[in-house]
Amino acid sequence: MTSLKRSHATITPTTTLSSKTYLRTLKSGKVQKIVRELYLRQDIPCSSQLCTVCLEQQASGYHQKAAPFVLSATPAATKQFPQGHYLIPDTNAFLNGMDLFEAEGAFTDVIVLQTVLEEVKNRSLPLYHRLIALTKNDGKRFYVFFNDFRLETYVQREAGETINDRNDRAIRKATAWYNEHLQQAASARKSVRCPAVVMISDDRDNIRKGKAENVTAFPLRDYVSQLPEADKLLDMIPERSSTRDGKAELFYPEYMSMSAMLTGVKAGTLHQGIFNVSTYNYLEGSVHVPAFDRQLIIQGRENSNRAVSGDVVVVEVLPKDQWKAPSSKVIEEDEVNKNENADNEDESEGIVTEQERRALQEEVKKTHASGLENQPRPTARVVGVIKRNWRQYVGHIDRDSVRGGSKNGQAQQTVFLIPMDKRVPKIRVRTRQAADLLGKRVLVAVDSWGRDSRYPVGHFVRSLGELETKGAETEALLLEWDVQYRPFPKTVLDCLPAEGHDWKVPASKEDPGWRGRRDLRDLIICSIDPPGCVDIDDALHAKKLPNGNFEVGVHIADVSNFVRPNNAMDKEASLRGTTVYLVDKRIDMLPMLLGTDLCSLKPYVERFAFSVIWELDQDANIVSADYTKSVIRSREAFSYQAAQLRIDDDSQQDELTQGMRRLMMLSKKLRGKRMAAGALNLASPEVRVEAESETSDPIDVKTKELLDTNQLVEEFMLLANISVASKINDAFPQTALLRRHAAPPKTNFEELSNQLKVKKGMELRTDSSKALADSLDTCAEPANPFFNTLVRILATRCMMSAEYFCAGTLSYPEFRHYGLASEIYTHFTSPIRRYADLEVHRQLAAAIDYEPLDASLQSRSKLEGVCRNINFRHRNAQQAGRASVEFYVGQALKGRVLEEDGFVMRIFSNGFVVFVPRFGIEGLIRLKDLAGSERDEVDGVFDQAEYKLEFDAVGKGKRTVELFQKVRVKIEDELEGSTGKRKIKLGLV
Amino acid sequence: MPLDTSTYILAHLRLDGRRWNELRRLQAQMSTQAAADGSSYFEMGNTKIICTVAGPQEQKSGGGGRSQQDKAKIEVEVNFAGFSGMDRKKRARSDKRTSEMQHTIASAFESTLLTHLFPHSTITLNLHILSQDGSLLAACLNAATLALVDAGIPMTDYISATTVATTASYADKEEEADPLLDLNGLEEQELPFLTIASSGGEDRVCSLVLETKVHMARLEPMISVGLDGCSQIRGILDGVIRAHGRKVLEGKVG
Ligand SMILES: [Zn+2]
Repeated sequence: MTSLKRSHATITPTTTLSSKTYLRTLKSGKVQKIVRELYLRQDIPCSSQLCTVCLEQQASGYHQKAAPFVLSATPAATKQFPQGHYLIPDTNAFLNGMDLFEAEGAFTDVIVLQTVLEEVKNRSLPLYHRLIALTKNDGKRFYVFFNDFRLETYVQREAGETINDRNDRAIRKATAWYNEHLQQAASARKSVRCPAVVMISDDRDNIRKGKAENVTAFPLRDYVSQLPEADKLLDMIPERSSTRDGKAELFYPEYMSMSAMLTGVKAGTLHQGIFNVSTYNYLEGSVHVPAFDRQLIIQGRENSNRAVSGDVVVVEVLPKDQWKAPSSKVIEEDEVNKNENADNEDESEGIVTEQERRALQEEVKKTHASGLENQPRPTARVVGVIKRNWRQYVGHIDRDSVRGGSKNGQAQQTVFLIPMDKRVPKIRVRTRQAADLLGKRVLVAVDSWGRDSRYPVGHFVRSLGELETKGAETEALLLEWDVQYRPFPKTVLDCLPAEGHDWKVPASKEDPGWRGRRDLRDLIICSIDPPGCVDIDDALHAKKLPNGNFEVGVHIADVSNFVRPNNAMDKEASLRGTTVYLVDKRIDMLPMLLGTDLCSLKPYVERFAFSVIWELDQDANIVSADYTKSVIRSREAFSYQAAQLRIDDDSQQDELTQGMRRLMMLSKKLRGKRMAAGALNLASPEVRVEAESETSDPIDVKTKELLDTNQLVEEFMLLANISVASKINDAFPQTALLRRHAAPPKTNFEELSNQLKVKKGMELRTDSSKALADSLDTCAEPANPFFNTLVRILATRCMMSAEYFCAGTLSYPEFRHYGLASEIYTHFTSPIRRYADLEVHRQLAAAIDYEPLDASLQSRSKLEGVCRNINFRHRNAQQAGRASVEFYVGQALKGRVLEEDGFVMRIFSNGFVVFVPRFGIEGLIRLKDLAGSERDEVDGVFDQAEYKLEFDAVGKGKRTVELFQKVRVKIEDELEGSTGKRKIKLGLV
Repeated sequence: MPLDTSTYILAHLRLDGRRWNELRRLQAQMSTQAAADGSSYFEMGNTKIICTVAGPQEQKSGGGGRSQQDKAKIEVEVNFAGFSGMDRKKRARSDKRTSEMQHTIASAFESTLLTHLFPHSTITLNLHILSQDGSLLAACLNAATLALVDAGIPMTDYISATTVATTASYADKEEEADPLLDLNGLEEQELPFLTIASSGGEDRVCSLVLETKVHMARLEPMISVGLDGCSQIRGILDGVIRAHGRKVLEGKVG
């Protein structure tokens, strides 16, 4: 605490006043003139550790802390600058080469000028944030020099001078100043080595003027080529579109101007939405727009006009005679355009290759023929992109695009990168390392997609390692799903309790840690988790009360006690959003010390907890609920199986087992009530990969089994979440962090319910979750128990995804959780592995007056940001987990040939998709493979109305495959010639 | 779009190049309007104000003046010039924010002016805002002090006022939050801030306005820095008044 009576030494610095005037055009078209004062000063340090002058006159902040100097006294030397050098890049250098600046080992000691920072911010906010992140990275030594506030480097815009020219001049002036300043500093220290100051700019004029002013300047490319590892680094510079021939053919229509698009969207003639590409057909995309119930279909390259899956686009609906049914065919890019050459664009036939045209043509024929059943749906074309959602993509180099002669050479050439994500088109990348990169997982960034290029153009970022190796594939999927997997930085680890693993619940109840905590150490509490679980979030107890009712407690790890709002650890956790579980790896949201020790409700030790304690009557109705911070001592940590055994063992009559039996009894009643209310029992294909413990090589795949104890824990977690949700919503109606699951629109189920009707004569009712739950129960075949699960899997895919939201943003009826059939819901029970739960803990602590609510949890806009991020992270974590299982299942099947039962879950005109429950895999079987054809597509007789496909199988004669049919499939893995990649292949037996 | 306040943390420099504890350039003149009983012109950075004082004069009959028979009533009127803001717009007289400002100014001066010396009378303050760039209320209070002194209305002490913000809202660590003195318009829009006015050497707070959410822990440093700023401004006002007084005296003598 600072004292009120404190006089703050007022330094009256020597500042000179100037002013800056500029015009700003608002979105509304209004022009504003803005006049700003500028206080020019001389106490802005150069931040070089060589300099003593700046160190002496450095001003400190309110907290009397002066920033340490950033730039090294002995910066890296190159051939040209043996004495070491500092870099001053201009705006374009950052805009074009951010990946380079982020590369490890190169580009250290960089001075970011204020002028440049400001321009970068104007041009690209994401790049600005990356640049800011670099300035906070201790190892990179990036320093932001506020040149426009320093008297000596300030530059006034002259009459008639463009802003760009003025800024270039400011950069040159700052460079010159640094040069002189460092020389003075070096001579004052009598140091021999005075680092050179190098300006990086691609502007020839700027370099020329720099030369005249004695400023050392290089274009980015020239500078990089002097560095060691230049080849690798050069690949990371994006191709400038202007370097291509001017006469290039234009493949794509031009985009509309932003204002024309916005006007069109406002007027309703155009529509805005997110572009999604079908995973089965790379030439077909869809856009959901508010004006149409169903998604608009976008077919072909020309119509999708350079939009990449995920971009926010504006579309125009095509005339009715061009409407089409969604594709009934599988089209994969690497199949169709197998032999294209990445280098010569000009010779090609235009935007659509001949093969593609043929594939599409057949599409059209089909839809005209098939008639009634699959009615044509509105189609659209993309007229412009509002926001690109490009990220970095992981993929592998297309072997066929590497020029033969240069497979060993170092010559620069253009190759295709085939992204892992099938919805993303292949990316043209210029590289000198084509030979080295073959057979590797490669990360690239997309730079641009001009009208003159059939494919987007990108540049190499880095190689992750050999294809199919565990390390590379794991990193690849972490990158693909944007999972932050680097070790926790020191700033985060600094937030941990100093006692480390020796931390204990304070013995004395006088300790501040005990304030407001209830002593629940006498309760017979235990935890039930999956086997081998080390981050134990929750523990339970049940006790019989004298009045015949039950006292039931759910005790959750008190993570918020250790993670204080807004410290570095909290920020990191909020960024990560969730722990990500891969088959052989866990990427924690919180450092291990907390997750697996101090917070984890381990047995036999005292731990802080946040407890929800109910009084439940015989029928599991809530009589009262109570929330409190507590101290508990868990008596035992069970696995689901061990708990089940103990409950079933009649010889066990101790209090712990009795408690679990009470919990079991109550949980069954709770579950019954939930099901009666219309909660859905959905299914997703879940398998477990058994790995050898030493090498963690997968040896077998097992489907997950569910025990009653799984459901026991689940029921009480749901109950706790629901109770807490209404408690925090009462306390903070504007900012409570809740979770909802919207009811799916009816149209989502149309396809599935039609399929069930046609094939099985079953009816799927979807008017409410109750109706759906009931009709899902009726979709069963006694002879085929898996059929019901299959329907549930398909129904799950028709659902909306659940999401976190902030209470103030929606009205109460919209809070509803459809799947759980609950009016209100939140996540409270897993704060070790989900950030949402941690925030909810804080809100609940404030709701029971345990501690005041942090400001960040009072701001709705801040919380909405948190919700957006954790929703995104949550989805990605699930996808990454699934992808990891998929990879390991593939590894487990390596070199084996198996026969298994499968079910047909989707039919195309040239193939069908089979689901194999034993391994949880879903695979496409192509007719052309069955026919033994090497090249050409093979079509069968496709009856779309009946979901039936007739075809010739080699050596087996005519065969028919129908939807939902049980088939025997052969599973083997196959090495793909073109990619050198292993793939699971299914075949019909 | 220029940088915003989040860059403060990079080098402890504010958007206009100031440090956390620096005031903007202050300029003031007194007796600028010969026709008024008292007047002043006051600049805090690009916030520019003319203040005129009329009175004490006899209270107009009628109206609701009955309750304040025993002392002078302070009336404040704030006018915004159409060109004062970034957008050229006319403000309604009955604008809520404006009347709140008027009320705040009037009640601040009730505590320092010796109004009981002028029963049945009114002191009218007219504040004309020529240009707005943050710390408007504080600038009004400072301008009014000068004009009231010019009008020769007895007072116990000057009122000096300034604004204080805290950096980069709640997202940052407590230890990293610096209080910022004397805000310009841009800072005011982005940061939580308060206006503080004090009178007398002993840091007597006579007005404190806080309309944004601020973390409790940051309030104390903010007030402490604010009082410090007030006393700096008080020194400047004192200098202006003394210089003006000297000039008046010289004029009289000469
Ligand atoms: Zn220096």
